[in-house]
Amino acid sequence: MSGATNKRPFDAGHAAYLALNILLLVFLLAPIAIVLIFALNPTPFISFPPVGVSLRWFEKFFASDEFMNALWLSLWVASVVLALSVLIGGACALALVRGCLPGRTFLTAFFMSPLMLPAILTGLALFQAYLLVGIGRPVWGLILAHTLVAVPYVIRTTLAVLHNFDRRIEEAAAVLGASPARVFFEVTLPLIRPGVFAGGVFAFIVSFDQFPVSLFLVVPKGETLPVVLFNYMKFDLDGAIAAASMVSILLALSVVLVLERLIGLKAYVKL
Amino acid sequence: MTSAAIRLEQVTKTFDGRVVAVDAVTLDIAAGEFFSLLGPSGCGKTTSLRMIAGFDHPDSGRIHVGGRDITDLPVHRRDMGMVFQSYALFPHRTVAENVAFGLRMREVPKPEIVRRVQAALAQVALTGLEGRKPSQLSGGQQQRVALARALVVEPPVLLCDEPLGALDRKLRQQMQFELKELQKRLGVTLVFVTHDQEEALAMSDRMAVMNKGKVEQVGSPTEIYEQPRTRFVADFIGEINILETAGLPRALRPEKIRLVASPDARVSGKVETANYLGGSTLLRVRAADGQSMLVRETHVGERASRAPGDAVGLTWNDHDAVTLEG
Repeated sequence: MSGATNKRPFDAGHAAYLALNILLLVFLLAPIAIVLIFALNPTPFISFPPVGVSLRWFEKFFASDEFMNALWLSLWVASVVLALSVLIGGACALALVRGCLPGRTFLTAFFMSPLMLPAILTGLALFQAYLLVGIGRPVWGLILAHTLVAVPYVIRTTLAVLHNFDRRIEEAAAVLGASPARVFFEVTLPLIRPGVFAGGVFAFIVSFDQFPVSLFLVVPKGETLPVVLFNYMKFDLDGAIAAASMVSILLALSVVLVLERLIGLKAYVKL
Repeated sequence: MTSAAIRLEQVTKTFDGRVVAVDAVTLDIAAGEFFSLLGPSGCGKTTSLRMIAGFDHPDSGRIHVGGRDITDLPVHRRDMGMVFQSYALFPHRTVAENVAFGLRMREVPKPEIVRRVQAALAQVALTGLEGRKPSQLSGGQQQRVALARALVVEPPVLLCDEPLGALDRKLRQQMQFELKELQKRLGVTLVFVTHDQEEALAMSDRMAVMNKGKVEQVGSPTEIYEQPRTRFVADFIGEINILETAGLPRALRPEKIRLVASPDARVSGKVETANYLGGSTLLRVRAADGQSMLVRETHVGERASRAPGDAVGLTWNDHDAVTLEG
């Protein structure tokens, strides 16, 4: 790579490619930058240009019982949803690929269908169903609803790993004396785990950010963060909203990073 | 190390209820033997091996190993070693953990596992790579890990499914020598599946040539090469001339044909092409009667180089032309 003799001539195509990439990045990141600016701007209303830097909106956010309760509820619900969808989605994907089930394509489409349906319809349908059954709107109902929407993400990432899975590796373990159960826990599970957890990250975020489904299924005093933020915005539009958004973004990001550290999602960034 | 004889008795396997992969195959493999299953793809050799391993269950027929009927025994209770073409190493485990796997399944005590893993790795010249992951190894090294992993449990039977297929030519030849020496030293019964006839000839004590789910011929490499029984066997192994005399097909190897002066020739003709192969030259000769014949001219001593267009005379000994069944 050294020496000026092999220097590449200016390549218009390459320059255009770079420019397009930069534009895309700006497009994706600009909203976050704007939220950050508003979160740090001390004026009591959203204004531009910012007049200074302060943490007063973050203080307000963290000092508010309403916000804090909602944040904890959201985190708690999202964690349970992560665990449930990893279990259900992982098992579903295994059954779809390995189970020799009749009508596999239909079943796959069926399990993926919550992705096609507008979430607001899912929320409304569940709300009416819960009313009909007469269970009201318990927290576990909310968790079930989020899980329903989150499971397809886990199914999809797990299916991707299973399709590229070399089954000879399992056969090798069996010849070496591993019973089917041991093959599963010693070989299959460790090898599909990154795919399952990549889906789990999506599941967590889908639940944590979930608004349309939650809207129908939360009760007063038991609202998740997106719903509380929505209600807050109807009356106030100050920097606390922006601060709350920043906290949400950072929390979601840290979940991704922690899981990446723990189980190495790197291999699945390609997906 | 113990070894066991293998017996396949009228074994048949059909896939999807239509495709007959293995058709009433009977084979007797002696204890301690290096036995190859040779044939083109789809001939049933891999399916036969997979039935011995227990991955596929025969529709009919029985399989015996060491005098015991294992037809209905699940894979993990058959106590065999197997080496796959793709190596099938556990990618999430180190070399040492890969090799230790079979011992762990057998609940061998920890200190003994460590000792035996060390010994197995030394046997395949991999000492020092214990902590590596399979992805950090070359193809040849992965192959050796797969071999060590299979042999460390001291199986009476080692099954190999085209184990050298993914290696380049030079490494492949080296591994052929190593595998054969290792097999002799350990005395394990080795069933070797390959589509490479040279490999089968070079390594086997005995071999079975398979075609369309059936065994065409079983014998030592010399028997298979020198005394092919069917047209398929003659044609599949090496180059062959099929002569029709009195309605009987006879097989004649190109190297059995001598180039002689016209008066002594059984057949005279013209050289059409001459393929120089280093140690020999393979000539295609068009005989006067229009038949095309392959002649291998080995390069020993003085030789006249033949070029396309040269007139040549061909002769051979009668006993070198082997009568075929069909």
